[in-house]
Amino acid sequence: MPRLSAPGGLQTTTSYKVVLPFYTYGTFALLVAVGLLLGHTNIAKAHHFHPVTLSITHLMALGWGTMIILGASHQLLPVLIKGKLASNFLAYLSFGFMGIGIPFLVWGFYHFQFDWKIQLGAVLINIGVLSYVINVFKSIFESDGREVHAWFMATAAIWLFSTTFLGLLLVFNFTRSWLPSHSLAYLTLHAHMGIVGWFLLMVTGVGSRLIPMFLISKYSNKKLLWWIFSLINIGLISFIVFRSFHTASTAYYISIILTLIGIVIFGYYCFKARKTRIRKNVDYQMKLSLLSILQMLLPILALIVVLLLLPSQTHENLVLLYGFCIFFGWITAIIFGMTFKTLPFIVWNKVYSDMAHGVKLPAPKDLFNDKVFRVMLYLYPIAFVIFGLGIILKNDFLLKTGATALLLAALLYIYNSLITIFHKAKI
Amino acid sequence: MDSVNTVTNDDLKCIKAFRGLYQVYDPEVGINVVDLGLIYELNFDSENKHLTCIFTLTTEFCPMGESITENITKSLENSFPDWEIDLSLIFDPPWEAAMISPEGQADLGW
Repeated sequence: MPRLSAPGGLQTTTSYKVVLPFYTYGTFALLVAVGLLLGHTNIAKAHHFHPVTLSITHLMALGWGTMIILGASHQLLPVLIKGKLASNFLAYLSFGFMGIGIPFLVWGFYHFQFDWKIQLGAVLINIGVLSYVINVFKSIFESDGREVHAWFMATAAIWLFSTTFLGLLLVFNFTRSWLPSHSLAYLTLHAHMGIVGWFLLMVTGVGSRLIPMFLISKYSNKKLLWWIFSLINIGLISFIVFRSFHTASTAYYISIILTLIGIVIFGYYCFKARKTRIRKNVDYQMKLSLLSILQMLLPILALIVVLLLLPSQTHENLVLLYGFCIFFGWITAIIFGMTFKTLPFIVWNKVYSDMAHGVKLPAPKDLFNDKVFRVMLYLYPIAFVIFGLGIILKNDFLLKTGATALLLAALLYIYNSLITIFHKAKI
Repeated sequence: MDSVNTVTNDDLKCIKAFRGLYQVYDPEVGINVVDLGLIYELNFDSENKHLTCIFTLTTEFCPMGESITENITKSLENSFPDWEIDLSLIFDPPWEAAMISPEGQADLGW
């Protein structure tokens, strides 16, 4: 019987049974969200507090972005903390509660009914998120590695729960007035806790390990990562303080600048990783992931324009552009790219890891259709730009064309995701 | 054999081991573990039929680590069926680009 000694520890992987349901759910949530967008392009001309806009936003934020990131984070947590996932059961609970809660919540927003259905949805989502938070903390405390990446993940999980818990309060506040102000007054806080605290912190934390790993780069700079972590958190906390004390809107520039510096440093980190890469041929998935870092800057630009122009209340569409750049831009781009770096690994380990050596096995990249991926790669940014222009110009033709192209890109993504998920051994 | 940096005390047996190990790929990189420079040392104790393999991974966070380790083990078991095999996974010295063979470098687009 062979013996293995691994003083540094051998990386353990999370079971595909935990991860794949999240990916599958997220894939279909994207399809529904883009379908809704195509069917209701008129929302681009309406106020952002619109039933369909709220439905699409929550489908994109929770059903698409969060479910995919939760799936990926269950898979990547061991990589980030040098340990293993504490509980598969908590992961299943997280999936189950969120998976049931999201449709209730979205249904409630769509019909603009703040009755028991939307409240049930919000409660279930919070239980699901809490299960995830407990799992993350349990995993971290049971592991040896409590480096900066673990801090990114733990803090992002706390921000996610803060976001969904405030969301829960807002849902109940529509009918019972628990909070000092009307729910609308808290929407900006709710949104930014999720966007910056959850998505940005998670993407930078995970990305700072995955991007060098997939580029096969030895670049690492923990000091820079601590700067990114601190700047993003201080930026968000300062925003919450300014917002809570009704500070003049110029104060928000402090929060924006801090966050922007954090993003720029993250971009620099990825640039250094790319520059020192051992693998010279950068694949399309990594190119799209690197492009998404640049896309992080678009919402910031839109936000600055909003802050400059909004007092006149004549540029409501820029608020929509800001949200569109985040959910259909940056978050979608990084998921489109990273899905086909992480998902094939998960499925490859499921299908081929037990197979005897001696035969040339397909590589993870062979599990999806590269041509379809490349068409999606070109179609998606074109669709994004067309729809974005449609929002700015309030042009029906551009909005419909952009939404149709987005739907096609989503269908290509779904096709490739499903053939990967249901891949059978080919040797 | 000349182009890889594996340390060994028995060249002939090392070639035999390599025949199998050339079929063990890092699935992400698409290069076998020998050309990638992951096999640091192969020590053969012919008297006691004991083989020690000291190897590494491209990163200690390698998501394919389990699979690569398993396949290295199976390969060595196949090549030396009645031998006792010990594997030692180390990250010091860390793997670096200079450890890749010229054949592996060509595959990486250098």
